[in-house]
Amino acid sequence: MITVRTEYHSHFKEITGLPGDTFELDQPTVSELAKQLTDKYGDRMSALLIDPNTNQLNANGTMYVDSKGRRVFIEDTLEDGETIAFLVGIAGG
Amino acid sequence: MESNLLRVDLTTGEIKNEIIGHDVFERWVGGSGINNWIMWEHFLTHDINCDPRSPDNIFVFGVGPLAGSGAGSGVKGRITFKSPCYDMFGDSAGGGKFPYMIRFTGFEYIAITGRAPKPVYLHICNDEVSLRDASHLWGKDTKDTHAILQKELGDYPSKTHTLSIGQAGENQVGIAGVVSDALRIHARCGGGAVLGSKNLKAIAVQGDGGIKIKRPEGLMKWSDEFRQSLDKNEAVYGFKRRGTLGAVEMYQHIGSHFWRNGQGNMFRGDDITSDNWVKRFHKYSEVCSSDCFIACDAKYKIDGTESEASKEYIGESFRRPEYLTTGSAAGALDVRDWAEVAHWGKLTNDYGIDNQDLSCSISFLMELKQRDLISDDDVANLFGHSQSLEWGNMKDIERLVDDIVFQSNPFGKMFGDGPYKGALRYSEMMGQNFMKYAMYGKGGASFTEEMRPFPTWMNNMAVASRGADHLKGLGLIEKFQRRDLSQIYFGGPEAADLTIPDYKGASTAIIENQVALLNSYGVCMFHWMLDPAGYMPEKYYGEAYRSITGVEHDSDQLMRDGERICNLEKAFNSRVGMRREHDTICERWMWEPTDEGMYPGSVAADMFEPVLDEYYQWRGWDVKSGLQTRAKLEELDLGEVADVLEADGALARG
Repeated sequence: MITVRTEYHSHFKEITGLPGDTFELDQPTVSELAKQLTDKYGDRMSALLIDPNTNQLNANGTMYVDSKGRRVFIEDTLEDGETIAFLVGIAGG
Repeated sequence: MESNLLRVDLTTGEIKNEIIGHDVFERWVGGSGINNWIMWEHFLTHDINCDPRSPDNIFVFGVGPLAGSGAGSGVKGRITFKSPCYDMFGDSAGGGKFPYMIRFTGFEYIAITGRAPKPVYLHICNDEVSLRDASHLWGKDTKDTHAILQKELGDYPSKTHTLSIGQAGENQVGIAGVVSDALRIHARCGGGAVLGSKNLKAIAVQGDGGIKIKRPEGLMKWSDEFRQSLDKNEAVYGFKRRGTLGAVEMYQHIGSHFWRNGQGNMFRGDDITSDNWVKRFHKYSEVCSSDCFIACDAKYKIDGTESEASKEYIGESFRRPEYLTTGSAAGALDVRDWAEVAHWGKLTNDYGIDNQDLSCSISFLMELKQRDLISDDDVANLFGHSQSLEWGNMKDIERLVDDIVFQSNPFGKMFGDGPYKGALRYSEMMGQNFMKYAMYGKGGASFTEEMRPFPTWMNNMAVASRGADHLKGLGLIEKFQRRDLSQIYFGGPEAADLTIPDYKGASTAIIENQVALLNSYGVCMFHWMLDPAGYMPEKYYGEAYRSITGVEHDSDQLMRDGERICNLEKAFNSRVGMRREHDTICERWMWEPTDEGMYPGSVAADMFEPVLDEYYQWRGWDVKSGLQTRAKLEELDLGEVADVLEADGALARG
């Protein structure tokens, strides 16, 4: 089991109502983290986080990075103590 | 598909209609593609090395086939001209209702040449077109100009929609833009100065016609599926709520802002970096174009309770700032109060001036002041009035804006063409080289975001056909680290990896082609980030395009069309003398490492040259000179363009 912190920004913060969480994961994977997030926050989080066509993390308009600034994908593994930031992936204007 | 091109010679007053045939759409798609072709043809009979403010320059407005068709993909009009601030190809997009309302008059393209003997505006009311006296509008900002024209022309046969210049355009300030319905500026490259030089204050349209669709049932089916696709994505609702300002927190997290002339990459100040502005400033939503399923726009109205500075602006109402309005004020100039950031957006829109060039020009001098490189005597000589050049001092920033808009002192005249020419002129005047503090790429103002950790982004800035620009190559595969897209385009994850140069130049080349398609369709770029339709426009928008136009090009042909459009822009720049050595970026981006954010120690120089080489290779251009080859141009059915370049000595040898 590992412990992972999450940080929520913009629309993620609006849905969760929190700046962040701590999750304990039996499987050290992004997939497990995504499951716990959608279990905890329900349909809106699921619609934001998961692409229903591919069952991958939704890539359109969203961004998820680890503490080194690397984007994470659903097949990635996570290390104990890692922090994942959930961000809106928008630019320009 | 056929379309109507309205040609207006302001010198003679001649107005005539020309048909753009189906064959032109087969070759140039529509929108910016057709604009480019109109300008290219113009400069076969006019001196391409003319002063862009002379009557020889051309100003083209065009709108693509999807805009206002009911596709729901947003609406963008395009203006195209030789840029007066950068002396190269110039174009700029703008949204709102003007671009599709003009389609209801029956005209989708306007080409304006010459110079009117006195200020005029162009009125298009269905097929009745006239030039009218604009002496009562001269000296007005875009807001008042729009309001006067709406009142004067009334609501029959439709409401009046306008494209106008403010005082910046009238004074032929090189970085002046053109504003649609007083709300949305075609900011880049100085189209406002071109209209000002032609004494054309505005174009006002009223139309109640329709738009011809080749296969309406095909478009309706496509449009319905497109809407359902967007509806499934909760991120779209987040975008409706925040617009591009959703980027503020992401950029703050990874270190991608442009702070104090690019000295840092994170905003300072709790208010400016938080999401609190959503509650305080987002007063009501606005649909930009009535043909957009996203509707990200919103308006604010300041009541004086929102922040300390808001008391200064009670009653002010305008569009919610976009990210780059915020990046230029809160970033480049270190303005830390949202009311002031919002006011900056309104101020520059009313005057009709590009806030990217403007902020980089002002922040250049502010950095010199910060470093004690400018004395009190220098300030007195430059401004002729007191000026603190203090970061974030909004009152003094407004005075600097006025100096440039009204060309009222040496500073205003020196920096009217943006930071690159401004810094060159200032260095020459002072007899000292200050270019290391100028933020630019290819002679254009740097847009106000961090570049150094993002090799594709840097490449975009160096090669964009209209000077430093993020909206031509759009390096988002890399910035958002989209391994999935890298896999689709290149069969591996490399293009999404920030740490290696591989496929970064290739990404620029491919996405430039796709962006050329988006701009030629006449749709909004924001779909690029939210939906596959945006980042694979040849595939997903293809059916909508075919249904509307009857141009039966498949995805491969459409990508080739996009490549052809990019090559014509390149050919224009080659004709005015641009070569590989012009495809470059400023010293700070190149050599000075980042010292904050998630990617510290990044410098552009580490990967710049190999990425540039790869870009030319993917383009099929000569790597050494950066020039196009006859073989590539003929492959794109542009043999006659190769002939022109060869005659000008602007084609690669061999």
